[in-house]
Amino acid sequence: MALTNVNSILIIGMAGGLAKITAGLLLKTYPEVNIVGVDSRECDQFLKDVRIKYQRMKYTRSNFEKLFRNNKFDAVLHLGRISHTQANPRAHLAERLDLNVMGTNRILELSLHFEVKKVIILSTYHVYGAYADNPIFLKEDSILRASLNHPELRDVVEMDQLASNWMWKYQHQIETLILRPCSIIGPQIRNAMAQYLVTKYVPVPMDYNPMLQLIHEYDMANTLVHALKYIPTGIYNVATDESMSLHEIKNYMNIPYIPVPVFLLEQVAKVINRTFWSVPDYLIDYLKYPCILSNTELKKHLPPNFYKFSTREILNLIKQD
Amino acid sequence: MELRKLSKLLNIPLPKSIDEDELNRIFAVLERRHPTGEDPWGLNLRKSRESAKLGYSLYKHYFKTRVIGAHKVQDRPYMVVSNHSGQIAIDGMLITAAFILDIWPPRILRSMVERFVMTLPFFGSFAAANGAVLGDRSNCEHLLTREESILVFPEGVRGVSKSTNEFYKLQNFTQGFFRLCLKTKTDILPIATVGAEEFYPFVYQARGLARKLGLPALPLTPFFPTLGILGIVPLPSPVDILIGDPYPIPQDLSPDAPDKLINEHVYKIESIIRDLIAQGRSHRRKFWGTYLLPSVKGPHGPH
Repeated sequence: MALTNVNSILIIGMAGGLAKITAGLLLKTYPEVNIVGVDSRECDQFLKDVRIKYQRMKYTRSNFEKLFRNNKFDAVLHLGRISHTQANPRAHLAERLDLNVMGTNRILELSLHFEVKKVIILSTYHVYGAYADNPIFLKEDSILRASLNHPELRDVVEMDQLASNWMWKYQHQIETLILRPCSIIGPQIRNAMAQYLVTKYVPVPMDYNPMLQLIHEYDMANTLVHALKYIPTGIYNVATDESMSLHEIKNYMNIPYIPVPVFLLEQVAKVINRTFWSVPDYLIDYLKYPCILSNTELKKHLPPNFYKFSTREILNLIKQD
Repeated sequence: MELRKLSKLLNIPLPKSIDEDELNRIFAVLERRHPTGEDPWGLNLRKSRESAKLGYSLYKHYFKTRVIGAHKVQDRPYMVVSNHSGQIAIDGMLITAAFILDIWPPRILRSMVERFVMTLPFFGSFAAANGAVLGDRSNCEHLLTREESILVFPEGVRGVSKSTNEFYKLQNFTQGFFRLCLKTKTDILPIATVGAEEFYPFVYQARGLARKLGLPALPLTPFFPTLGILGIVPLPSPVDILIGDPYPIPQDLSPDAPDKLINEHVYKIESIIRDLIAQGRSHRRKFWGTYLLPSVKGPHGPH
């Protein structure tokens, strides 16, 4: 069921690059819309538009509920999942569990209570885990195995599963979408994979060469905007039809790297972590084994040629940056 | 000069690489099939080309591979079904090479491999770059839907890990491949590889010990594990790849049909491959003046 009127939207995680691009696109698509953005981080390069209000707050606090009370939100975009860009994700697991799981639960409860019409939750392809026996084109009903090898990804998996259960339980009262995108890459995105691709002299496994899927930040933002009106309740992988191997990406980028065998990669990463680059432990699995998503379900709700940026174009853009 | 003498003594021709024009002709066709040069399963045409160049000597001169019945292969997708032999999957590599080098139009045959292969450093990514794919049902379905051809060994590990007294005895086929063909309406191309058993002619499979060690197989030969890694080098047994007539998939049979109905067809395919093996063995080529293993005496006797 399409959301017909989009007058007021809450964006959680507003300080992030994706949220800002999404806000900009929303303002273009819905000239009458008012956007409230929240984040616990400072928001630099704030969009100068009277239709956007930014509030710095933790959404586990009581003043977060006031936002819902004072604004009749038509839709909530939860883009505020805390990621694992720290070198030692285990050390911050408790904090991430609190924000990602408990925080998401709170957002969903408030959305239901204050009759929000649509909630979109941004999950991640990491939930599937990178394994040698992953079938190519993981579907949305594939088992979420990320936390089997990496307990530090528990929060990501639990957040996704919490949202899934809630989505089906309240499907007749509120439209809920869970989007699991592949690696989002772009000049404004600073996730682990984006950093890995552009940083010089990173260790690259010489004995493994997984296929990777990339989506441009603009295409991802466009998907979020399109989802508001045109994509019904459900879980959707978000990925283009293209994929490229890790070695081909590195060679195409022409950025120098250090080829090492995987068994040394962890040790090398530990040294680098202390100096100038943060390598989450789990990322090494994604540099060994594929985690390729099937986009068949989402494509049913997208117009043809929806994605504007090919993989090579994405790489060219981040290279220039 | 000494190399030439050695080559004559061992009856192994000196390596000659493939003609560059021929390689360009082959890969022009493959590039039309795979325009980006890669695919989501890890295929890399550039690396496949390098492998074809490097592996040509092994394929043509070391194993002296012959393809019999290439004219039966049409330009459409197949589920290629073969017997499995030779302790390690060299037969798979030779069949894949045959479909690139000796069958027109060429194609990258997607070999279904065991899970552990994809975990192997270097070898896993090498195999994927040359078309190997994790032997998973959904992978198989996707590839067949994309009109690619798949290579399967329905005997599984039982086929490739046989002791000498079991050589050329086809093990029972599983049914999965046939059900997939029914689902995707893909015809079967039965083939037989003859000569691979003699790569390691004297083998004892220590099955009990393998089970205790958690291994799929543990072949013991006069040279392995005694000579260590050198014991793995296969003998230059000449290989014949015999291609049978395509087996058309019955259009009115459901992929979920009871085992009894599926088995009728699976047994027929086993029988076809058994006949191809017998045919191949009756035309075995000697190497080093011997067959090493007895050939089947056909109407014209062993050659």
